[in-house]
Amino acid sequence: MKMRIPILKLKDTLIVSIQVELDDQTALQFQEDLLDQLHKTSARGVVIDLTPIDFIDSFIAKVLGDVIHMTSLMGAKVVITGIQPSVAITLIELGIRLENVTTALDLENGLEKLTRELEA
Amino acid sequence: MNHRSSIEINTEWDIVAARQLGRNEAKSTGFGTVDQARITTAISELARNIYLYAGKGKIEIEPVRVGTRAGLIITASDEGPGIADLQKVMEDGFTTSGGLGAGMPGVKRLMDDFRVETEVGVGTTITATKWLH
Amino acid sequence: MNEVMRKGISENIDIITSRWIEQMKDNFSERFLDLMPASVVDTTSREFTELMTSNLSDREKVDKERLDEFTEKIIHFGWSIKFINRAIDTFSSVVYELFFEQGILSDANLRQGVGIFSRWINPLRESIIEEYSTKWERTDSLQKIALQELSASLIPVFDKISVMPLVGTIDTERAKLIMENLLEGVVKQRAEVVLLDITGVPVVDTMVAHHIIQAADAVRLVGAKCMLVGIRPEIAQTIVTLGINLTDFSTTSTLRRGMQKALEMTGRTIVEEEE
Repeated sequence: MKMRIPILKLKDTLIVSIQVELDDQTALQFQEDLLDQLHKTSARGVVIDLTPIDFIDSFIAKVLGDVIHMTSLMGAKVVITGIQPSVAITLIELGIRLENVTTALDLENGLEKLTRELEA
Repeated sequence: MNHRSSIEINTEWDIVAARQLGRNEAKSTGFGTVDQARITTAISELARNIYLYAGKGKIEIEPVRVGTRAGLIITASDEGPGIADLQKVMEDGFTTSGGLGAGMPGVKRLMDDFRVETEVGVGTTITATKWLH
Repeated sequence: MNEVMRKGISENIDIITSRWIEQMKDNFSERFLDLMPASVVDTTSREFTELMTSNLSDREKVDKERLDEFTEKIIHFGWSIKFINRAIDTFSSVVYELFFEQGILSDANLRQGVGIFSRWINPLRESIIEEYSTKWERTDSLQKIALQELSASLIPVFDKISVMPLVGTIDTERAKLIMENLLEGVVKQRAEVVLLDITGVPVVDTMVAHHIIQAADAVRLVGAKCMLVGIRPEIAQTIVTLGINLTDFSTTSTLRRGMQKALEMTGRTIVEEEE
């Protein structure tokens, strides 16, 4: 029952849209796949869109935080997009601040932000 | 009138099943999207704690009505090792599993009422309630 | 006996009323009488004594409509529940004394009289107090709703910039509502910068600051920036005195300066047209 989150490449950016509810294994698999792709493609930026996700618990938050940290260690930049209001409120109440994360309202906005930051 | 749904937690997949059940129950009780997210997240944290620390246990979800107030009671129970230092567990950032240490205090913040009964070597029962406003 | 007592009261209603007013003045604060014009005192007192006697003939049954009307009136006058209780006590003792004076009550029929008295006064007292508290509860919940309606809407001012003016005291319940409105608004209006204007918030303590910090954090997660504007000097003082850390925030004293900053952040500026 293992699912794989598809990772798309657009120029030097990887684009990920998480459309399904993440179970622990899928989340960890995704972490591995993304780092793999980064290494293979030497992309400089990653946009992870979470628009369809309706909740994030502390485990998924930790995986996301780790992915962001690992990605930056590999010299690339991550932008998280589409976090729903209900998800944001829940995360804050859980006590998870996801500091040092660049966020954007949606995928389009996120790509713009990423381009701007990579140019700077 | 009250139906209590129950899910046994034995594998990682049961965590997903428990929160899906929670989401549906929250929706049918009439909670808005933010409270749905709070309830789903709380169940996920509680179920994961059972899986990580006790190995197995169960999550029960029960709609309640007290006077004019409606709500959802979530009970997480296991016969695991119990919690030796409850105060420590309720501190933000304390973890023995390498997680974020947001679980227990986080669940308390997400829900309206929160109660822990635990005995070392016997098990733990956590009851958390969310009320409709 | 009931009939005799009822007659005794209706014949002496003026005396009862005036004695009652007198004793109330002596025993209790004169506030209620000072605040009300003399004529109103008179009619209200009369209404009170009439209401008190209305159920004597038809025992245990209180005229719901009259009671309703009267309770509303005394709440409006600001009679406290303590005062009402005292008013009922005073009324009973006035009537009691009068009955003795007039021989309606004597040592011979005292036991029977006391029985009728308590069956008469007690349900009345209960109804009035119950009516009073229901009225208060209703007022209280209406005010809560009114307060919630007052809470915080996010106003799109420019493309990418929205403002939320906060007015009044912020408690946990309101803070949650504000947070929801804020985030839903940000996503719906596609705001990149939101200005939280706290000019109208009277007190910013650790609790309120905590709520504001949480709201700003959540705004960051959905992908926008939050700026705190309208920080009055006394609020700046309390923030520093309490050791609240707002350094992660962009803050300004006025909405105007905040707006200029927000325009800069979104790559725009206000230019004056040249002639």
